Amino acid sequence: MTELKLDTPWQRALEQIKTWARVNSPWAIHYNSGSCNGCDIEILATLTPRYDLERFGIKLQGSPRHADILICTGPVSLQSRDRLRRIYEQMPDPKFVVAVGSCGISGGAFQGCYNVVGSIGEVIPVDAYVPGCPPRPEAIIYGVVALLQSLQKKPAAPAQPVE
Amino acid sequence: MELETALQSAETLLQPLAVEIKRPEPERVDVYITLENLKPAVQTLVDAHWGYLAAITGVDKPAPAVAGAAPDGDVEVLYTFANGGALATLRVRAPYTDAQIPTICDIIPAATLFERELIEMLGVDCIGTPDRGHLILPDEWPEGVYPLRKSFTGLNQE
Amino acid sequence: MENPESPQKFVVPIGPQHPALKEPAHFEFSVDGEIVTGASVRLGYVHRGIEKAAEARNYPQGLYLVERVCGICSHVHALSFALGTEKLAKVVAPPRAQAIRVLTSELERLHSHMLWLGVAAHEGGFDTLFMYSWRDRETVMDLLEQMTGNRVNYSINIIGGVKQDVSDEIKTAILKGMDFLEGRMTHYLTVVTTDETFLGRTRDVGVMTREQAETLGPVGPTARASGVPIDVRVDSPYAGYVDFPVNLIVDDGCDLLARFVVRIKEMQESIRLIREILDHLPEGELAVRVPRRIPENEIIQRVEAPRGELFYYMKSNGTDMPERVKIRTPSLCNWASVINLAPGYKLADMPMILAGIDPCFSCNDR
Repeated sequence: MTELKLDTPWQRALEQIKTWARVNSPWAIHYNSGSCNGCDIEILATLTPRYDLERFGIKLQGSPRHADILICTGPVSLQSRDRLRRIYEQMPDPKFVVAVGSCGISGGAFQGCYNVVGSIGEVIPVDAYVPGCPPRPEAIIYGVVALLQSLQKKPAAPAQPVE
Repeated sequence: MELETALQSAETLLQPLAVEIKRPEPERVDVYITLENLKPAVQTLVDAHWGYLAAITGVDKPAPAVAGAAPDGDVEVLYTFANGGALATLRVRAPYTDAQIPTICDIIPAATLFERELIEMLGVDCIGTPDRGHLILPDEWPEGVYPLRKSFTGLNQE
Repeated sequence: MENPESPQKFVVPIGPQHPALKEPAHFEFSVDGEIVTGASVRLGYVHRGIEKAAEARNYPQGLYLVERVCGICSHVHALSFALGTEKLAKVVAPPRAQAIRVLTSELERLHSHMLWLGVAAHEGGFDTLFMYSWRDRETVMDLLEQMTGNRVNYSINIIGGVKQDVSDEIKTAILKGMDFLEGRMTHYLTVVTTDETFLGRTRDVGVMTREQAETLGPVGPTARASGVPIDVRVDSPYAGYVDFPVNLIVDDGCDLLARFVVRIKEMQESIRLIREILDHLPEGELAVRVPRRIPENEIIQRVEAPRGELFYYMKSNGTDMPERVKIRTPSLCNWASVINLAPGYKLADMPMILAGIDPCFSCNDR
């Protein structure tokens, strides 16, 4: 894989513009890998007039190929595992994953169940975890905004292939 | 229909086919029948418009384990019909050695989803059921492993 | 993607990741031009093995597990489990607890139907109604949070009663919320029954006649919108519904519009019932003691979830863990109606027909 040379002023300016666009208007996609819908409802509630995530420039849309952020919920069920990996691979670099809910962290109430992998981090690399069962919409917004603020500080590195 | 009238009418309808009839709770009547009488019993209830099929439940009843022998026991299948507040349950037993029951999908087409779940979770074959596909287990689930049997303790490969 | 059986038809696969619903499922529609000729659905993406897990947890732990079968109707699952365990142990919760349980059930019905209204309108492209109904839903979420401490998964049930009491401040807040929502319900009913564009999308779409409904076996508002008068709260009242009866809401429209109307009218009925409960809340304690080990017994408990009849079969074996917990959720019964109704309508009507039965995949798969 060729290394991107970030030394020239032209390259640096381009990186800054890309980061600015990525941070100020990320496009998100949502996937439910087996959750009880509690977290998904709270994610949908962030779009509604009371919490209004779109004022941060975050747009929830349909295809993985257009997305910067994957907001994922649920303890990964065995049926969902391969599909989740495929969705992650379909997203263009640089991409970020936010795991919402206790199920995504450790399996939540379903730890040890036979059809459940457990943590989303075992299937795809995760950048931010938002704990709660389910987390409030304010907590989800905080998690996503914290991720975006951390992006502002450094340019994104090329993503490593998933093992 | 009044609760007691409904329960009485179910008892009268199923009396000729039943091995035993019990009243475990005020609104329930349990009818124990043999495998051959399952379809006639279901047909009787459907012809009399006695309620609708509420659920098909499978209960695993393993026999006490014997060292070195394969797990033995039977699966009891409960067909619950609901008519207003009254519940009539038909109970049949299918032994592990010959775990087959006749399907009721030709009488009640909506039962196919319940039967699919019974087949994959408890390993009871419903002879003649139109669809045997996995309802809730994943595609890669190994054959012959039935999660709701007491002998299942988890997939050991991961 | 060619369907090998008949090369002229085309199969459209949708899911498990799709922008329509928030839950994963895989649909395949065989289409001939724009008209759907066959539909099939692959469930199982949300199967977590809850029935098996309940056998390895004791009853109070099972209560927390079963709440998370579904986030939208979590209270009715916990209610059914608690009522079932109380039946197994042959105890009865005190009247105040039963009334608070019914109060929470009706608040849950309100929030669930409003959620559905928004999602179904979103499927039909009517995003304004989606935003309005979810904004109004926040009123109910605030009331639930005030009463129970959480917006979703409000575990107010314990085996033997309830955990939290309803104080006078909460009563005043709920009554104020109900006044606001009553006006909104009238508005939604007017919008749904008179807006020409909306009527064009819902009238005579997804028709299921009464005879078909009696054969296919749906439950809940889907059946009531085709004239079938089944409702567990009326047929076999449980918990506080014995003291606070509910009126049966039935509509003969048989189409998608009737399903909308039935649910909005149910919300109006819930508002009336909540007011009545708060006026006549019985005094008393909140819970009774239930022994840790439940003697051998088996029961069936049915409860009316927002989507229909929820069926629990529970068997105890003398220890502190249940022997078998069987959960039959209403969405499982409603599937047959969609699969059989879909052929003959355009592909673009599919999301709305699917949303009309209020599918809950996490309830289905457990």
